Amino acid sequence: MSDMRNYSSRVIGIAVVVCSLFVIANIIVPETVLSMDEHTWSDQEKSILRSLWIDSLGPLPTDPSNKYSDNPEAAAFGKKLFFEDHFSGNMKVSCATCHREDYVFTDNLPLSHGMDTTPRRSMPLIGVAYNSWFFWDGRTDSLWSQALGPIESKLEHGISRTMSAYIISTYYREEYESLFGPIPEITEDKWPQTARPAQDDPNALKAWVLMTPDQREVVNHIYVNMGKSIAAYVRTIVPQPSPFDDYVEQVLSEKYMTSRMALTENETAGLRLFIGKAKCTNCHNGPMFTNSDFHNLGLPHNDDMKSDTGRAGAITQVLSNEFNCIGQYSDAKPDECLELRFIETSEEKYKGAFKTPTLRSVADRPPYMHAGQFTTLHEVLEFYRSQANNPELGHKGLTDRELDQLEAFLRTLSSPLTSFQAEAK
Amino acid sequence: MRRILLVVIASILLLSGCVTKDETMTGHQEEMTEGHGHDDTKITKHFDNSLTKLTDNDLYSLELVIPNKNLMMGVNTIEIIVHHATGGDVAQAEVTVRPWMPSMGHGVMEKPVITERGGGLYSVDNVIFSMVGHWQLQVGISKDGKEDTAIFDFPEIKAMGHEHAMMNAPPPKDLDYSTMKMTAHKTYNVMYKSTSGQIRINRIHSWELMVKDADGQPVNNAKITVVGDMPEHGHGLPTQPEVTMIGGGIYRVDGMKFTMPGWWIVTVSVMAEGKHDNVSFNLNIL
Repeated sequence: MSDMRNYSSRVIGIAVVVCSLFVIANIIVPETVLSMDEHTWSDQEKSILRSLWIDSLGPLPTDPSNKYSDNPEAAAFGKKLFFEDHFSGNMKVSCATCHREDYVFTDNLPLSHGMDTTPRRSMPLIGVAYNSWFFWDGRTDSLWSQALGPIESKLEHGISRTMSAYIISTYYREEYESLFGPIPEITEDKWPQTARPAQDDPNALKAWVLMTPDQREVVNHIYVNMGKSIAAYVRTIVPQPSPFDDYVEQVLSEKYMTSRMALTENETAGLRLFIGKAKCTNCHNGPMFTNSDFHNLGLPHNDDMKSDTGRAGAITQVLSNEFNCIGQYSDAKPDECLELRFIETSEEKYKGAFKTPTLRSVADRPPYMHAGQFTTLHEVLEFYRSQANNPELGHKGLTDRELDQLEAFLRTLSSPLTSFQAEAK
Repeated sequence: MRRILLVVIASILLLSGCVTKDETMTGHQEEMTEGHGHDDTKITKHFDNSLTKLTDNDLYSLELVIPNKNLMMGVNTIEIIVHHATGGDVAQAEVTVRPWMPSMGHGVMEKPVITERGGGLYSVDNVIFSMVGHWQLQVGISKDGKEDTAIFDFPEIKAMGHEHAMMNAPPPKDLDYSTMKMTAHKTYNVMYKSTSGQIRINRIHSWELMVKDADGQPVNNAKITVVGDMPEHGHGLPTQPEVTMIGGGIYRVDGMKFTMPGWWIVTVSVMAEGKHDNVSFNLNIL
């Protein structure tokens, strides 16, 4: 309702501006004067706007570690797995539990809840394929290995890879085999359903090591192909052009009149702050509004969060992950694993640092930050302003009005999403 | 704002008190400190947490004020108050400040910018420490033909962590963005280019370095390190680049990545046939 009102007042306001500008421009005022207002951008500013524009996003980046990533059958299969709640200890948790399609593929909780409450917030999946690292701490280097983590986490899906292989062989055999080739019978007696290489459960680990190497290989293979299929689906979740993108398109094509219809004065002022004084593009840059790096913002934390070392604790995890880009289950050649090869290994530098999240559709998916510390965008902006001495942030001297303008701008980044839809047969 | 306030406070203090070799001070600041190497000398400071020193030949007394409390890797600003050792402001002196790394035997390419504020107060901007470690500030004072020097020692200049940094210096005006430069001591000529054309933010890419000696001959088998630094934010590259020799003075640097727009300094250090030198390139990443 308020959107409609907003929109109609915007249209009327613009109509008035446009009409009067036409009159003035045609009679006395030269073009240069016409362009001297809040919608005027310098060449440098235009190049920044272009860099944030959705058209700069380019096609989905190839994932050399997953040869199925652009396979439509794999995406269709992965989509089923994504919404399948059999892959959980209580038959109620699927990927979609914490990555809700109706909530920009995240959830509305400060800390996500699968089988139990996790220590962090669910990440938004919008445009996730454009990331270099996955999870808040980047403990995996591909979307498919990311997808496998929660399944064996006691707090999330709470089952084992062996149980997963059993479910595939029992309920999804045909689809699986048509993509990845034949698999043996996975029976409950020979394939203990708790078996996984667990560090947190001696019985599960014992069951895992007592299986034969061939069995473990079969299970790992099925598990990896599940991850690769889920990734083939999840990577298709991408944003559509937002009001901000429409605005940039108008500005870059020098359509001064129509650009005024895309954003209000307040939103434009917020955009100017975003790329200028407020220095938001220090980290929220590029068309996904993230640099994919990790930063410690000095966020408030309770005792539970205190021990969360963020990226620092994830560096050895991603290097030792059996499912990383240079591991035996990756389809990449070693020299294609650039992020892993050049990984910054300084734990000191990344202590308590978490990934810069995308800002696309940010207004549609509160709460905010890696542990849901803030419930509104306003609180987030207030927090940033309070961190005036942190040079990573540097949002010095913003007025209340400017915070409101920034928030107004952030709301223009909302857009519908698209994701893989299986063709109707 | 803070800068203006500091200058105002300094001016007031300078009107009422000053640094002298003896103890005839008007006690606006109670704290008494001993100057290093001059145990018999008491210097009254205008500021808490400042550093004081007599110049090597006892001509001037210096008080070095660090507005941000700590000097850090990257760009720093300091204030220097200069007095005659016997009392009295030293105005219109020629003041030079040179950051120097004694263990490495080099300084930095970018010179500090000195502005006289009056009353013996000089602001020194653009003091760059290009890496962590032991640094010195070599201060020279020249007035009416009387020259003297002092060295302030900083045994451990640290990189700013991601969490507790205090500075946010803007890039100096008229930065030299050239891609070919002589090293600090003119030992080598280094040119860089990105192998994929324009450098784009957030992309891992490769550089090619062409290293020549002072006579223009290619330098092979050099040990080369590449360090990226963002002075405004006090942190470096998100990657650890690797350097491999191609031959003919050309080296390939893989794994370069810039994750913030703005001013970056990339320092290339070259060690060949026992001669070590380095050069810093300024980049503006969009």
